[in-house]
Amino acid sequence: MTVTSQSNTRPTAALDGRESILSAKGVVKRFPGVLALDNVHLDLYRGEVHALCGENGAGKSTLMKVITGLYQPDEGQVVYKGEQRHFSTIQDAQDVGITIIHQELNLVPHLTVAENIYLGREPKKGWFVDKKKMEADAQVYLDRLKVNIKASDLVLSLTVARQQMVEIAKALSLNAEVLIMDEPTSSLTESEIDRLFEIIHELKSQGVGIIYISHRLDELKRIVDRVTIMRDGGYVWTKDFGDVTVDDIVAAMVGRSLEEKFPERQSSPSEDVIFEVKGLCREKLCSNVSFTLRRGEILGFAGLMGAGRTEAARAIFGADPKTAGEVILGGKTLSIAAPVDAIEQGIAYLSEDRKLNGLAVKMTIKENVTMANLAAVSSHGFIDDAREARAAREMVAKLSVKTPSINQVAKNLSGGNQQKVVIGKWLFRDSKVLFFDEPTRGIDVGAKFAIYQLLDKLASEGIGVVLITSELPEILGMTDRVVVFHEGEVMGILETAKTNQEEIMQYASGVKRMAL
Amino acid sequence: MATLEQSPGEAKLPIDRKDLIQKFAALAGLVLLIVAFSLTSSAFLTMSNGVTIALQTSTIAYIGLGATCVIITSGIDLSVGSVLALAGVVAALAVQVGVPVPFAMLIGILAGGACGAVNGLIITRMKLPPFIATLGMMMVARGLALQITGARPVSGLGESFGALGNGSLWRVITEGDNGFPKVIFPGIPYPVILMIVLAVIVAVVLRKTTFGRHLYAIGSNEEAARLSGVKVNKVKIGAYVLSGLLAGLCGCVLMSRLVTGQPNEGIAYELDAIAAAVIGGTSLAGGVGSISGTIIGAFIIGILRNGLNMNGVSSFIQMIIIGLVIISTVWIDQLRNRK
Repeated sequence: MTVTSQSNTRPTAALDGRESILSAKGVVKRFPGVLALDNVHLDLYRGEVHALCGENGAGKSTLMKVITGLYQPDEGQVVYKGEQRHFSTIQDAQDVGITIIHQELNLVPHLTVAENIYLGREPKKGWFVDKKKMEADAQVYLDRLKVNIKASDLVLSLTVARQQMVEIAKALSLNAEVLIMDEPTSSLTESEIDRLFEIIHELKSQGVGIIYISHRLDELKRIVDRVTIMRDGGYVWTKDFGDVTVDDIVAAMVGRSLEEKFPERQSSPSEDVIFEVKGLCREKLCSNVSFTLRRGEILGFAGLMGAGRTEAARAIFGADPKTAGEVILGGKTLSIAAPVDAIEQGIAYLSEDRKLNGLAVKMTIKENVTMANLAAVSSHGFIDDAREARAAREMVAKLSVKTPSINQVAKNLSGGNQQKVVIGKWLFRDSKVLFFDEPTRGIDVGAKFAIYQLLDKLASEGIGVVLITSELPEILGMTDRVVVFHEGEVMGILETAKTNQEEIMQYASGVKRMAL
Repeated sequence: MATLEQSPGEAKLPIDRKDLIQKFAALAGLVLLIVAFSLTSSAFLTMSNGVTIALQTSTIAYIGLGATCVIITSGIDLSVGSVLALAGVVAALAVQVGVPVPFAMLIGILAGGACGAVNGLIITRMKLPPFIATLGMMMVARGLALQITGARPVSGLGESFGALGNGSLWRVITEGDNGFPKVIFPGIPYPVILMIVLAVIVAVVLRKTTFGRHLYAIGSNEEAARLSGVKVNKVKIGAYVLSGLLAGLCGCVLMSRLVTGQPNEGIAYELDAIAAAVIGGTSLAGGVGSISGTIIGAFIIGILRNGLNMNGVSSFIQMIIIGLVIISTVWIDQLRNRK
């Protein structure tokens, strides 16, 4: 590139006498037809946690890919330890001390934890892998995280949260000087997050520079020193975290000021019960789950990871077998053995992992929207193209899906728009009760607001809405009542207006229990 | 419409256009082959050779159609080569015991469908991987075909058994000056007509029916399809039954051409079927594929064999060339998708 000689035009020691370890200067990255990064700056000090915030599509991941060598910048430069660097692979970056923990887990499920941590750099004894040393070394890093994981465990036997901890242990083992964390807490429980933050503080004191990407703005204050905002591929500002509020950050991210995180509720619950579950049981995972849902109500399911919220919803929907329990819709007891039965009765479940089991990513928006109700746009088994296109277009307009065409393939959409397509699928089915499982996970602030508005609108149209979420603010901001789960059981059903985060947590952790 | 504006970062080709490019590339390859062989061999671009190629390609095409449907669900059917042999000998044996030819062939085709149904049941009920289930069926069906015939060809079937494989439509023959018959137009062989009709039907099934849409949905994301109320097991069994029926038909046509029931017919044909689908752009990962692509793929294989034969290339070299063609077409396809 043309900038080799300019690498020393700026002193590497920056403000406050703190030493910059990594900086990206005036980075420009173009893709065909798109300016993905437009003159972006990022300056990371040793021993600092630097938050990088922006909506999905703001260019955070692209910038990280430029820094770690996955992409080459078209203009600008990456300076590491005072030298301009060009990494041609992630491996190169890793070798000099830059490590990234991806949002999606990059573990091999059929290998052990130790084998994963040392994958590609196994300790050898002669020609053979030194398994003992490998497991002992891996265990040291796992113990530092104070997680109860054995180095000899198979990764596939671990929950997603624990796999995330393995990723972090792997990063520790690389002795990184710069650590990039992309949404590390999205699947962790409160106590695991606490432990992770302790580790982050420890790393900080050892002089490691950490770039921290997260949508959970409220947790930033616990660890972050400075924050850089990106919007639409451009650089907005970098400030000391102490000088700004969460609202400032959100405003800068979306380019407008969001008055509130949640829309004002238009719907209000009436007295008539439209949906009821009695004594639902599922082998080992749920026992005696009962609740009612009223017309116009948004009912929350709260609880820690693995508390049985998703498991109960899937059993109600027929996606997994239940051992006992009644499901009553509009006064009628339903017999549900498979998702088909639930769908025919008007019950829908929007799964927590869109890409894994909600969306057919290789198919178009149109095909996804009509997937659950092809019969409505076909006659005698033949699909009517015009009717199908009309249905898809109406749904795209109703939900404001941002797309050039209804023939766009789903994987090319942003997370928020993908979620809207999945919702569209169930609205097209005229569902009466919708279970939303973590509908806003991995979605940016602006899109979240649109989803909240949609939930409210559905409730006001008389559709029963169940919101399963791990985000307590979401429970408090959106629901009328909340069902709190703990180890497969309902611990309490609370009026949202009369409760608070602390009380919900007491029920969720099993400290308190209501007589039901 | 305001919501349909293009947002940056999502500017990618819709699949339709991508599909078109893929098909255009395969079609261009086909045309290139035809041009190349026309230049190297004067006998290549003649009416009668055209008919020969179409006839040879038709057998790959029948089972290629079935393979496409199965591969779209992200499955695979390795049993078709054996199933077609079983179906063919069943039809031949039926004729031997006095069943009229059309009914005998129907029995053969249904035998193929039954094999497909067993494949489907093993895959959906016993939850075995399609590779294993159909590998087993490949051996079982071949063994059955050999056992019921005592490994001997079934002959003495009469002329009517050969009509389907050897007859033609619109064949025009006049008597030449020397008294011998002279072929003005060789006619369109029945197997070729059958290929065209079946290709159109299966293409319509894939593109226009709910069954077809469900095949794509299962291949794209099986769990999403199940949670959307798609009867995944039924649809999958349907795909394997379709593949079995088409294999059965292929067996009947092949045996009819030989006017003999050959229990050793069709060895490794499943690989031609899979190759035709893959060259035509069907993804082994599922969710992607088209009939037009598979037909082009079948013709690429058929024309390569025919043209290389005419140029005196040995069958061993032919295998090498076709193998390289499969590797390079899929490689090109992946390069295109990686962007």
